[in-house]
Amino acid sequence: MTPASGRPQLDPTAPPGQRGLAPRAWLVWSLAAVTVALVSDNPIYRGLVALVALNVLLKWLPPGRNVRPLAVTVVLAAAFAALIDVLASHTGADVLLRLPADWPLVGGAMTAESLAFGGALGLGLVAALLAVAPLSLVLEPHDVVDAMPSPLERTGIAVATSLNLVSGFGRTFTAVRDAQRMRGWRPRGIRSWNEVLVPVVLTAIEDSVLLAEAMEARGFGAGRRTSYAGAAIDRWDWVVVAGALSAAALFVGARLIGTPLDWYPYPTLALPPVHALLVAGCLALVLPALPRPAFAGPKNQAGPS
Amino acid sequence: MRRPIAALVVAASLAAVVSLAPGSPAASACAAAGLHHAALVVEHGDGSVVTRCVAFDASQITGEQLLNGSGIVWSGQMFGGFDEAVCAIDGEPARYSSCPGKDSYWAVFVVRSGGAWQLSNAGISTLTLSDGDAEGFRYVPSSGNPVPPPLPGGVCAAGATAGATAGAAATAVAVVPARGTAAPSDAATTKSPASVASVAPADSGIAAVAGAVASATSTASSMTASNPERPARQPGQAPGLDLGLLAAAVAGGGLAGLALLRVFVPRRGAR
Repeated sequence: MTPASGRPQLDPTAPPGQRGLAPRAWLVWSLAAVTVALVSDNPIYRGLVALVALNVLLKWLPPGRNVRPLAVTVVLAAAFAALIDVLASHTGADVLLRLPADWPLVGGAMTAESLAFGGALGLGLVAALLAVAPLSLVLEPHDVVDAMPSPLERTGIAVATSLNLVSGFGRTFTAVRDAQRMRGWRPRGIRSWNEVLVPVVLTAIEDSVLLAEAMEARGFGAGRRTSYAGAAIDRWDWVVVAGALSAAALFVGARLIGTPLDWYPYPTLALPPVHALLVAGCLALVLPALPRPAFAGPKNQAGPS
Repeated sequence: MRRPIAALVVAASLAAVVSLAPGSPAASACAAAGLHHAALVVEHGDGSVVTRCVAFDASQITGEQLLNGSGIVWSGQMFGGFDEAVCAIDGEPARYSSCPGKDSYWAVFVVRSGGAWQLSNAGISTLTLSDGDAEGFRYVPSSGNPVPPPLPGGVCAAGATAGATAGAAATAVAVVPARGTAAPSDAATTKSPASVASVAPADSGIAAVAGAVASATSTASSMTASNPERPARQPGQAPGLDLGLLAAAVAGGGLAGLALLRVFVPRRGAR
Protein backbone atom coordinates (compact mmCIF):
# COMPACT_ATOMS: atom_id res chain seq x y z
CA MET A 1 0.00 0.00 0.00
CA THR A 2 1.32 3.37 -0.95
CA PRO A 3 -0.02 6.56 0.55
CA ALA A 4 -1.64 9.16 -1.65
CA SER A 5 1.55 11.20 -1.65
CA GLY A 6 3.39 8.24 -3.13
CA ARG A 7 5.62 8.14 -0.07
CA PRO A 8 6.20 4.58 1.07
CA GLN A 9 8.04 5.28 4.35
CA LEU A 10 5.35 4.87 6.94
CA ASP A 11 3.54 1.86 5.62
CA PRO A 12 4.06 -1.09 7.98
CA THR A 13 2.05 -3.47 5.82
CA ALA A 14 4.21 -3.06 2.75
CA PRO A 15 6.44 -5.97 1.67
CA PRO A 16 9.92 -5.90 3.25
CA GLY A 17 11.60 -4.54 0.15
CA GLN A 18 9.29 -1.55 -0.06
CA ARG A 19 9.41 -0.30 3.52
CA GLY A 20 11.20 2.96 3.77
CA LEU A 21 13.61 4.53 6.17
CA ALA A 22 12.82 6.61 9.19
CA PRO A 23 13.13 10.36 8.57
CA ARG A 24 16.00 10.63 11.04
CA ALA A 25 17.86 7.90 9.19
CA TRP A 26 17.36 9.85 5.97
CA LEU A 27 18.64 13.01 7.63
CA VAL A 28 21.78 11.29 8.94
CA TRP A 29 22.38 9.61 5.59
CA SER A 30 22.09 12.90 3.69
CA LEU A 31 24.40 14.75 6.06
CA ALA A 32 26.96 11.95 5.87
CA ALA A 33 26.83 11.82 2.08
CA VAL A 34 27.28 15.59 1.83
CA THR A 35 30.21 15.37 4.23
CA VAL A 36 31.90 12.69 2.14
CA ALA A 37 31.28 14.65 -1.06
CA LEU A 38 32.69 17.90 0.26
CA VAL A 39 35.49 16.83 2.59
CA SER A 40 37.62 15.90 -0.41
CA ASP A 41 37.86 17.42 -3.88
CA ASN A 42 38.82 14.10 -5.40
CA PRO A 43 36.51 13.50 -8.40
CA ILE A 44 36.60 9.72 -7.94
CA TYR A 45 35.07 9.87 -4.46
CA ARG A 46 32.66 12.59 -5.51
CA GLY A 47 31.59 10.60 -8.54
CA LEU A 48 30.98 7.53 -6.40
CA VAL A 49 28.88 9.53 -3.94
CA ALA A 50 26.88 10.98 -6.83
CA LEU A 51 26.23 7.50 -8.25
CA VAL A 52 25.30 6.15 -4.83
CA ALA A 53 22.91 9.05 -4.21
CA LEU A 54 21.41 8.60 -7.68
CA ASN A 55 20.72 4.94 -6.98
CA VAL A 56 19.15 5.74 -3.62
CA LEU A 57 17.01 8.44 -5.18
CA LEU A 58 15.88 6.19 -8.03
CA LYS A 59 14.87 3.50 -5.56
CA TRP A 60 12.80 5.75 -3.30
CA LEU A 61 11.54 8.41 -5.70
CA PRO A 62 7.74 8.39 -5.41
CA PRO A 63 5.94 7.88 -8.72
CA GLY A 64 4.79 11.06 -10.37
CA ARG A 65 7.24 13.26 -8.48
CA ASN A 66 8.63 16.04 -10.67
CA VAL A 67 12.40 15.65 -10.84
CA ARG A 68 12.94 18.09 -13.68
CA PRO A 69 13.93 21.02 -11.43
CA LEU A 70 16.53 18.81 -9.74
CA ALA A 71 17.89 17.54 -13.06
CA VAL A 72 18.11 21.08 -14.47
CA THR A 73 19.81 22.37 -11.32
CA VAL A 74 22.32 19.53 -11.30
CA VAL A 75 23.24 19.94 -14.97
CA LEU A 76 23.46 23.73 -14.76
CA ALA A 77 25.55 23.66 -11.59
CA ALA A 78 28.05 21.21 -13.05
CA ALA A 79 28.27 23.02 -16.39
CA PHE A 80 28.58 26.44 -14.75
CA ALA A 81 31.37 25.32 -12.43
CA ALA A 82 33.35 23.75 -15.27
CA LEU A 83 32.80 26.73 -17.56
CA ILE A 84 33.82 29.33 -15.00
CA ASP A 85 36.99 27.46 -14.13
CA VAL A 86 38.07 26.84 -17.70
CA LEU A 87 37.45 30.49 -18.60
CA ALA A 88 39.02 32.09 -15.54
CA SER A 89 41.94 29.77 -14.84
CA HIS A 90 44.73 29.83 -17.38
CA THR A 91 47.15 27.46 -15.70
CA GLY A 92 48.06 24.08 -17.09
CA ALA A 93 50.30 22.47 -19.65
CA ASP A 94 47.74 21.18 -22.15
CA VAL A 95 46.27 24.16 -23.97
CA LEU A 96 42.93 23.47 -25.66
CA LEU A 97 42.20 26.96 -26.90
CA ARG A 98 43.76 30.36 -26.60
CA LEU A 99 41.64 33.51 -26.34
CA PRO A 100 43.11 36.97 -27.00
CA ALA A 101 45.14 38.01 -23.98
CA ASP A 102 43.60 41.49 -23.88
CA TRP A 103 40.13 40.10 -23.12
CA PRO A 104 39.44 40.80 -19.46
CA LEU A 105 39.40 37.76 -17.17
CA VAL A 106 38.83 35.16 -19.88
CA GLY A 107 41.76 36.14 -22.08
CA GLY A 108 44.56 33.57 -22.23
CA ALA A 109 44.94 29.84 -22.49
CA MET A 110 42.05 27.49 -21.80
CA THR A 111 43.61 24.29 -20.61
CA ALA A 112 42.56 20.68 -20.15
CA GLU A 113 43.73 20.91 -16.53
CA SER A 114 41.40 23.78 -15.69
CA LEU A 115 38.55 21.96 -17.45
CA ALA A 116 39.23 18.88 -15.35
CA PHE A 117 39.44 20.91 -12.15
CA GLY A 118 36.18 22.67 -12.97
CA GLY A 119 34.60 19.32 -13.74
CA ALA A 120 35.68 18.04 -10.33
CA LEU A 121 34.12 21.10 -8.70
CA GLY A 122 30.91 20.53 -10.62
CA LEU A 123 30.92 16.88 -9.65
CA GLY A 124 31.07 17.94 -6.01
CA LEU A 125 28.00 20.11 -6.48
CA VAL A 126 26.18 17.28 -8.25
CA ALA A 127 27.01 14.83 -5.47
CA ALA A 128 25.92 17.27 -2.75
CA LEU A 129 22.65 18.10 -4.53
CA LEU A 130 21.79 14.46 -5.10
CA ALA A 131 22.65 13.66 -1.49
CA VAL A 132 20.14 16.15 -0.09
CA ALA A 133 17.52 15.52 -2.77
CA PRO A 134 15.75 12.74 -0.78
CA LEU A 135 14.94 15.26 1.94
CA SER A 136 12.71 17.14 -0.48
CA LEU A 137 11.72 14.47 -3.00
CA VAL A 138 11.24 11.43 -0.79
CA LEU A 139 10.26 12.92 2.55
CA GLU A 140 7.38 15.23 3.29
CA PRO A 141 8.22 18.58 4.93
CA HIS A 142 6.75 17.52 8.28
CA ASP A 143 8.97 14.40 8.21
CA VAL A 144 12.04 16.62 7.93
CA VAL A 145 10.82 18.77 10.81
CA ASP A 146 10.17 15.65 12.89
CA ALA A 147 13.62 14.34 12.10
CA MET A 148 15.31 17.34 13.64
CA PRO A 149 16.59 17.20 17.21
CA SER A 150 14.14 18.63 19.74
CA PRO A 151 16.04 21.91 20.32
CA LEU A 152 15.86 22.64 16.59
CA GLU A 153 12.22 21.67 16.15
CA ARG A 154 10.73 25.16 16.41
CA THR A 155 13.51 26.65 14.33
CA GLY A 156 12.89 23.97 11.72
CA ILE A 157 9.20 24.75 11.59
CA ALA A 158 9.92 28.45 11.22
CA VAL A 159 12.44 27.82 8.44
CA ALA A 160 10.14 25.37 6.66
CA THR A 161 7.23 27.79 6.72
CA SER A 162 9.49 30.61 5.55
CA LEU A 163 10.65 28.49 2.63
CA ASN A 164 7.04 27.71 1.80
CA LEU A 165 6.42 31.45 1.58
CA VAL A 166 9.15 31.74 -1.06
CA SER A 167 7.30 29.46 -3.44
CA GLY A 168 4.05 31.19 -2.50
CA PHE A 169 5.67 34.50 -3.39
CA GLY A 170 6.47 33.13 -6.85
CA ARG A 171 2.95 31.89 -7.38
CA THR A 172 1.51 35.23 -6.28
CA PHE A 173 3.85 37.09 -8.60
CA THR A 174 2.72 35.01 -11.58
CA ALA A 175 -0.94 35.40 -10.68
CA VAL A 176 -0.75 39.18 -10.19
CA ARG A 177 1.28 39.68 -13.35
CA ASP A 178 -1.23 37.66 -15.41
CA ALA A 179 -4.13 39.55 -13.87
CA GLN A 180 -2.54 42.91 -14.64
CA ARG A 181 -1.82 41.82 -18.21
CA MET A 182 -5.47 40.93 -18.66
CA ARG A 183 -6.26 44.48 -17.55
CA GLY A 184 -4.00 45.82 -20.29
CA TRP A 185 -0.79 46.28 -18.32
CA ARG A 186 2.47 45.90 -20.26
CA PRO A 187 5.99 46.16 -18.86
CA ARG A 188 7.43 49.55 -19.82
CA GLY A 189 10.52 50.29 -17.79
CA ILE A 190 11.23 49.77 -14.11
CA ARG A 191 8.50 52.11 -12.86
CA SER A 192 5.78 50.14 -14.60
CA TRP A 193 6.59 47.10 -12.42
CA ASN A 194 5.18 48.96 -9.40
CA GLU A 195 1.77 47.89 -10.56
CA VAL A 196 2.79 44.26 -10.12
CA LEU A 197 5.22 44.38 -7.21
CA VAL A 198 3.06 46.40 -4.82
CA PRO A 199 0.12 43.92 -4.93
CA VAL A 200 2.57 41.02 -4.70
CA VAL A 201 4.22 42.42 -1.55
CA LEU A 202 0.85 43.24 0.03
CA THR A 203 -0.43 39.75 -0.74
CA ALA A 204 2.73 38.18 0.70
CA ILE A 205 2.33 40.15 3.95
CA GLU A 206 -1.31 39.14 4.13
CA ASP A 207 -0.39 35.46 3.58
CA SER A 208 2.24 35.68 6.32
CA VAL A 209 -0.26 37.09 8.79
CA LEU A 210 -2.77 34.37 7.89
CA LEU A 211 -0.10 31.69 8.30
CA ALA A 212 0.96 33.06 11.67
CA GLU A 213 -2.66 33.10 12.87
CA ALA A 214 -3.19 29.56 11.63
CA MET A 215 -0.06 28.32 13.39
CA GLU A 216 -1.01 30.06 16.61
CA ALA A 217 -4.51 28.58 16.41
CA ARG A 218 -2.89 25.14 16.18
CA GLY A 219 -0.85 25.78 19.29
CA PHE A 220 2.55 26.63 17.82
CA GLY A 221 4.81 27.86 20.57
CA ALA A 222 2.61 26.50 23.34
CA GLY A 223 4.86 23.51 23.98
CA ARG A 224 6.28 20.44 22.35
CA ARG A 225 4.62 19.36 19.16
CA THR A 226 2.03 16.69 19.82
CA SER A 227 1.77 13.52 17.80
CA TYR A 228 0.30 10.07 18.15
CA ALA A 229 3.68 8.43 17.81
CA GLY A 230 7.08 9.46 16.59
CA ALA A 231 8.59 7.82 13.56
CA ALA A 232 10.37 4.84 15.08
CA ILE A 233 13.83 3.72 14.04
CA ASP A 234 14.18 0.00 13.47
CA ARG A 235 17.22 -2.26 13.01
CA TRP A 236 17.66 -1.55 9.32
CA ASP A 237 17.53 2.19 9.99
CA TRP A 238 20.28 1.74 12.55
CA VAL A 239 22.35 -0.22 10.02
CA VAL A 240 21.92 2.56 7.45
CA VAL A 241 22.83 5.19 10.06
CA ALA A 242 25.89 3.20 11.11
CA GLY A 243 27.03 2.82 7.51
CA ALA A 244 26.56 6.51 6.78
CA LEU A 245 28.33 7.62 9.94
CA SER A 246 31.18 5.18 9.25
CA ALA A 247 31.65 6.62 5.78
CA ALA A 248 31.69 10.19 7.08
CA ALA A 249 34.01 9.26 9.96
CA LEU A 250 36.36 7.51 7.56
CA PHE A 251 36.74 10.56 5.35
CA VAL A 252 36.92 13.09 8.18
CA GLY A 253 39.44 10.88 9.98
CA ALA A 254 41.51 10.49 6.82
CA ARG A 255 41.49 14.25 6.42
CA LEU A 256 42.55 14.79 10.02
CA ILE A 257 45.46 12.35 9.92
CA GLY A 258 46.76 13.71 6.62
CA THR A 259 45.91 10.95 4.18
CA PRO A 260 46.08 12.38 0.64
CA LEU A 261 42.46 12.95 -0.28
CA ASP A 262 42.60 15.82 -2.69
CA TRP A 263 43.37 15.94 -6.34
CA TYR A 264 45.06 18.80 -8.03
CA PRO A 265 45.44 18.57 -11.82
CA TYR A 266 47.88 21.44 -12.24
CA PRO A 267 50.25 21.83 -13.94
CA THR A 268 49.76 18.53 -15.81
CA LEU A 269 46.80 16.21 -15.69
CA ALA A 270 47.18 12.95 -13.77
CA LEU A 271 44.91 10.32 -12.27
CA PRO A 272 43.61 11.15 -8.80
CA PRO A 273 44.98 9.18 -5.86
CA VAL A 274 42.43 6.61 -4.71
CA HIS A 275 42.47 4.52 -1.54
CA ALA A 276 40.50 1.27 -1.65
CA LEU A 277 39.30 1.76 1.93
CA LEU A 278 37.82 5.14 1.09
CA VAL A 279 36.07 3.59 -1.92
CA ALA A 280 34.57 1.12 0.52
CA GLY A 281 33.53 4.08 2.65
CA CYS A 282 31.66 5.56 -0.30
CA LEU A 283 29.95 2.21 -0.87
CA ALA A 284 28.79 2.14 2.76
CA LEU A 285 26.39 4.89 1.74
CA VAL A 286 24.60 2.63 -0.74
CA LEU A 287 22.72 0.73 1.99
CA PRO A 288 19.41 2.63 1.52
CA ALA A 289 19.37 1.49 -2.11
CA LEU A 290 19.56 -2.16 -1.11
CA PRO A 291 16.50 -4.28 -0.34
CA ARG A 292 15.61 -4.42 3.35
CA PRO A 293 17.01 -7.75 4.59
CA ALA A 294 14.89 -10.26 6.43
CA PHE A 295 16.73 -9.78 9.74
CA ALA A 296 15.54 -6.18 9.88
CA GLY A 297 12.06 -7.45 10.67
CA PRO A 298 8.82 -5.55 10.15
CA LYS A 299 8.92 -1.83 10.17
CA ASN A 300 7.70 -0.37 13.46
CA GLN A 301 4.36 1.32 13.43
CA ALA A 302 4.56 5.04 13.01
CA GLY A 303 1.47 7.10 13.25
CA PRO A 304 0.60 10.40 11.67
CA SER A 305 2.23 13.42 13.21
CA MET B 1 21.72 -5.92 20.84
CA ARG B 2 22.26 -2.52 19.28
CA ARG B 3 25.12 -1.50 21.54
CA PRO B 4 27.50 -4.33 20.56
CA ILE B 5 26.75 -3.64 16.89
CA ALA B 6 27.33 0.07 17.35
CA ALA B 7 30.56 -0.59 19.27
CA LEU B 8 31.68 -2.94 16.53
CA VAL B 9 30.98 -0.35 13.85
CA VAL B 10 32.80 2.36 15.79
CA ALA B 11 35.78 0.08 16.40
CA ALA B 12 35.90 -0.92 12.75
CA SER B 13 35.75 2.72 11.69
CA LEU B 14 38.56 3.66 14.05
CA ALA B 15 40.68 0.77 12.82
CA ALA B 16 40.01 1.79 9.23
CA VAL B 17 40.96 5.40 9.88
CA VAL B 18 44.13 4.37 11.66
CA SER B 19 45.08 2.14 8.75
CA LEU B 20 44.82 5.17 6.45
CA ALA B 21 47.55 7.03 8.31
CA PRO B 22 50.53 7.81 6.11
CA GLY B 23 52.87 6.12 8.54
CA SER B 24 50.76 3.04 9.17
CA PRO B 25 51.70 -0.39 7.83
CA ALA B 26 48.76 -0.33 5.44
CA ALA B 27 49.91 2.89 3.89
CA SER B 28 53.62 2.49 4.04
CA ALA B 29 56.05 -0.29 4.26
CA CYS B 30 58.53 1.99 6.02
CA ALA B 31 57.02 1.99 9.46
CA ALA B 32 60.08 1.04 11.50
CA ALA B 33 61.40 3.71 13.83
CA GLY B 34 64.89 4.99 13.21
CA LEU B 35 66.92 7.68 11.59
CA HIS B 36 65.92 8.26 8.00
CA HIS B 37 67.07 10.64 5.32
CA ALA B 38 65.44 12.43 2.44
CA ALA B 39 67.06 14.66 -0.13
CA LEU B 40 66.02 18.11 -1.24
CA VAL B 41 67.00 19.53 -4.63
CA VAL B 42 66.21 23.12 -5.55
CA GLU B 43 67.01 24.40 -9.03
CA HIS B 44 66.72 28.12 -9.61
CA GLY B 45 65.68 29.78 -12.80
CA ASP B 46 69.31 30.60 -13.61
CA GLY B 47 70.27 26.92 -13.39
CA SER B 48 71.99 27.03 -10.01
CA VAL B 49 71.16 24.05 -7.82
CA VAL B 50 70.96 23.83 -4.03
CA THR B 51 70.80 20.41 -2.40
CA ARG B 52 70.25 19.33 1.18
CA CYS B 53 69.92 16.08 3.05
CA VAL B 54 67.48 16.10 5.94
CA ALA B 55 67.43 13.46 8.65
CA PHE B 56 64.27 12.52 10.49
CA ASP B 57 63.18 9.94 13.06
CA ALA B 58 59.59 9.37 12.01
CA SER B 59 58.81 6.92 9.25
CA GLN B 60 57.63 9.72 7.01
CA ILE B 61 57.68 13.47 6.87
CA THR B 62 55.79 15.91 4.73
CA GLY B 63 57.37 17.91 1.96
CA GLU B 64 56.84 21.04 4.03
CA GLN B 65 58.68 19.55 7.00
CA LEU B 66 61.55 18.57 4.73
CA LEU B 67 61.73 22.09 3.35
CA ASN B 68 61.60 23.55 6.84
CA GLY B 69 64.23 21.13 8.05
CA SER B 70 66.58 22.03 5.23
CA GLY B 71 66.98 25.55 6.53
CA ILE B 72 66.39 27.04 3.11
CA VAL B 73 64.35 30.23 3.26
CA TRP B 74 61.00 29.86 1.55
CA SER B 75 57.57 31.38 1.59
CA GLY B 76 54.16 30.06 0.69
CA GLN B 77 50.52 30.70 1.02
CA MET B 78 47.37 28.65 1.28
CA PHE B 79 46.01 27.74 -2.11
CA GLY B 80 42.56 26.26 -1.71
CA GLY B 81 42.45 22.50 -1.54
CA PHE B 82 46.07 22.31 -2.59
CA ASP B 83 47.11 23.32 0.93
CA GLU B 84 50.22 25.44 0.96
CA ALA B 85 51.62 26.54 -2.38
CA VAL B 86 55.31 27.43 -2.59
CA CYS B 87 55.69 31.03 -3.70
CA ALA B 88 59.40 31.68 -3.28
CA ILE B 89 62.43 29.60 -2.38
CA ASP B 90 65.87 30.83 -1.52
CA GLY B 91 65.05 34.36 -2.58
CA GLU B 92 63.54 33.55 -5.95
CA PRO B 93 61.45 35.44 -6.89
CA ALA B 94 62.64 38.34 -4.77
CA ARG B 95 59.16 39.87 -4.92
CA TYR B 96 55.87 38.63 -6.18
CA SER B 97 52.32 39.86 -6.39
CA SER B 98 50.58 36.60 -7.25
CA CYS B 99 51.24 33.07 -6.16
CA PRO B 100 51.77 30.88 -8.11
CA GLY B 101 53.39 33.44 -10.41
CA LYS B 102 51.86 34.20 -13.77
CA ASP B 103 55.11 33.80 -15.69
CA SER B 104 57.02 31.29 -13.60
CA TYR B 105 56.31 29.11 -10.59
CA TRP B 106 57.99 26.54 -8.39
CA ALA B 107 57.16 23.09 -9.74
CA VAL B 108 57.28 20.33 -7.13
CA PHE B 109 58.76 16.93 -7.94
CA VAL B 110 59.31 13.79 -5.94
CA VAL B 111 61.59 10.79 -6.24
CA ARG B 112 60.56 7.49 -4.69
CA SER B 113 63.32 5.11 -3.63
CA GLY B 114 65.89 6.18 -6.18
CA GLY B 115 63.55 6.33 -9.17
CA ALA B 116 63.01 9.17 -11.58
CA TRP B 117 61.48 12.53 -10.79
CA GLN B 118 57.71 12.50 -10.81
CA LEU B 119 55.71 15.69 -10.86
CA SER B 120 53.87 15.95 -7.58
CA ASN B 121 50.14 16.39 -7.71
CA ALA B 122 49.95 16.95 -3.97
CA GLY B 123 50.85 20.11 -2.09
CA ILE B 124 53.99 20.10 0.00
CA SER B 125 52.00 19.92 3.23
CA THR B 126 50.31 16.68 2.16
CA LEU B 127 53.18 15.22 0.15
CA THR B 128 54.81 12.54 2.28
CA LEU B 129 58.40 11.35 1.99
CA SER B 130 60.03 8.22 3.33
CA ASP B 131 63.63 7.18 3.83
CA GLY B 132 65.51 7.44 0.53
CA ASP B 133 62.93 9.67 -1.14
CA ALA B 134 63.67 13.12 -2.47
CA GLU B 135 61.75 16.31 -2.97
CA GLY B 136 62.64 18.61 -5.83
CA PHE B 137 61.77 22.15 -6.77
CA ARG B 138 62.46 23.87 -10.03
CA TYR B 139 61.54 27.39 -11.01
CA VAL B 140 59.85 26.86 -14.37
CA PRO B 141 57.85 28.92 -16.85
CA SER B 142 54.07 28.76 -16.53
CA SER B 143 53.65 27.45 -20.06
CA GLY B 144 54.75 24.03 -21.20
CA ASN B 145 55.65 20.92 -19.29
CA PRO B 146 57.90 21.57 -16.30
CA VAL B 147 61.36 20.04 -16.55
CA PRO B 148 62.52 18.41 -13.32
CA PRO B 149 65.67 19.40 -11.46
CA PRO B 150 68.83 17.25 -11.44
CA LEU B 151 68.48 13.83 -9.85
CA PRO B 152 69.33 13.71 -6.16
CA GLY B 153 71.92 10.96 -6.53
CA GLY B 154 74.60 11.25 -3.84
CA VAL B 155 72.94 14.07 -1.92
CA CYS B 156 72.35 11.84 1.10
CA ALA B 157 75.19 9.41 0.45
CA ALA B 158 77.65 11.04 2.85
CA GLY B 159 75.20 12.06 5.52
CA ALA B 160 73.01 9.01 5.67
CA THR B 161 75.10 7.56 8.47
CA ALA B 162 75.63 10.78 10.33
CA GLY B 163 73.56 10.74 13.48
CA ALA B 164 72.74 14.38 13.48
CA THR B 165 71.28 15.97 16.57
CA ALA B 166 68.54 18.47 16.93
CA GLY B 167 71.03 21.23 17.45
CA ALA B 168 72.43 20.70 14.00
CA ALA B 169 69.49 22.53 12.52
CA ALA B 170 71.18 25.82 13.20
CA THR B 171 74.36 24.48 11.61
CA ALA B 172 72.52 23.67 8.48
CA VAL B 173 71.06 27.11 8.34
CA ALA B 174 74.51 28.58 8.52
CA VAL B 175 75.63 26.85 5.33
CA VAL B 176 72.67 27.90 3.25
CA PRO B 177 73.86 30.11 0.42
CA ALA B 178 72.35 33.48 1.11
CA ARG B 179 70.20 34.57 -1.80
CA GLY B 180 68.01 37.07 -0.03
CA THR B 181 64.60 36.67 1.44
CA ALA B 182 61.54 36.76 -0.70
CA ALA B 183 59.34 39.76 -0.16
CA PRO B 184 55.75 38.83 -0.81
CA SER B 185 53.41 41.73 -1.31
CA ASP B 186 50.43 39.83 0.01
CA ALA B 187 49.64 37.67 3.00
CA ALA B 188 52.10 34.90 2.34
CA THR B 189 54.04 33.06 5.02
CA THR B 190 57.79 33.43 4.98
CA LYS B 191 59.71 30.58 6.54
CA SER B 192 62.88 31.99 7.99
CA PRO B 193 65.86 29.91 9.13
CA ALA B 194 65.32 31.09 12.70
CA SER B 195 61.78 29.80 12.78
CA VAL B 196 62.92 26.57 11.22
CA ALA B 197 65.55 26.10 13.88
CA SER B 198 63.01 26.51 16.62
CA VAL B 199 60.33 24.40 15.02
CA ALA B 200 62.22 21.58 13.42
CA PRO B 201 63.22 19.53 16.50
CA ALA B 202 59.63 19.25 17.69
CA ASP B 203 58.06 18.97 14.27
CA SER B 204 56.80 15.42 13.80
CA GLY B 205 59.94 13.50 14.18
CA ILE B 206 62.42 15.61 12.34
CA ALA B 207 65.49 14.86 14.41
CA ALA B 208 67.86 17.23 12.81
CA VAL B 209 69.26 18.68 9.69
CA ALA B 210 72.54 17.09 8.76
CA GLY B 211 74.54 20.23 8.46
CA ALA B 212 77.75 18.61 7.45
CA VAL B 213 75.98 16.65 4.78
CA ALA B 214 75.94 17.49 1.13
CA SER B 215 75.29 21.12 0.53
CA ALA B 216 76.25 21.80 -2.98
CA THR B 217 75.59 24.34 -5.64
CA SER B 218 76.06 23.21 -9.19
CA THR B 219 74.61 23.78 -12.63
CA ALA B 220 71.78 21.75 -14.02
CA SER B 221 73.52 21.32 -17.33
CA SER B 222 76.11 19.07 -15.78
CA MET B 223 73.53 16.66 -14.49
CA THR B 224 70.92 14.50 -16.16
CA ALA B 225 67.29 14.20 -15.30
CA SER B 226 64.31 12.47 -16.77
CA ASN B 227 61.21 14.37 -17.70
CA PRO B 228 58.06 12.33 -17.30
CA GLU B 229 55.40 14.21 -19.19
CA ARG B 230 52.54 12.16 -17.79
CA PRO B 231 53.18 10.67 -14.39
CA ALA B 232 51.32 7.42 -14.30
CA ARG B 233 50.88 7.44 -10.55
CA GLN B 234 50.44 9.88 -7.79
CA PRO B 235 53.25 10.14 -5.26
CA GLY B 236 52.79 7.72 -2.44
CA GLN B 237 51.10 5.06 -4.49
CA ALA B 238 52.59 1.64 -4.85
CA PRO B 239 53.81 0.63 -8.29
CA GLY B 240 51.88 -1.94 -10.27
CA LEU B 241 48.15 -2.44 -10.09
CA ASP B 242 46.46 0.41 -8.27
CA LEU B 243 43.98 -1.32 -5.99
CA GLY B 244 42.18 1.92 -5.19
CA LEU B 245 41.55 2.80 -8.82
CA LEU B 246 40.52 -0.77 -9.58
CA ALA B 247 38.04 -0.76 -6.69
CA ALA B 248 36.70 2.63 -7.76
CA ALA B 249 36.26 1.45 -11.36
CA VAL B 250 34.41 -1.69 -10.29
CA ALA B 251 32.24 0.20 -7.82
CA GLY B 252 31.50 3.00 -10.27
CA GLY B 253 30.63 0.56 -13.04
CA GLY B 254 28.35 -1.42 -10.76
CA LEU B 255 26.56 1.66 -9.47
CA ALA B 256 26.14 3.09 -12.97
CA GLY B 257 24.76 -0.22 -14.21
CA LEU B 258 22.36 -0.43 -11.27
CA ALA B 259 21.14 3.09 -11.94
CA LEU B 260 20.56 2.29 -15.62
CA LEU B 261 18.64 -0.83 -14.63
CA ARG B 262 16.46 1.19 -12.27
CA VAL B 263 15.72 3.70 -15.03
CA PHE B 264 15.04 1.34 -17.92
CA VAL B 265 13.69 -1.90 -16.47
CA PRO B 266 10.39 -0.44 -15.14
CA ARG B 267 9.78 1.18 -18.53
CA ARG B 268 10.06 -2.17 -20.27
CA GLY B 269 7.72 -3.69 -17.74
CA ALA B 270 5.17 -0.96 -18.33
CA ARG B 271 4.77 -1.83 -21.99
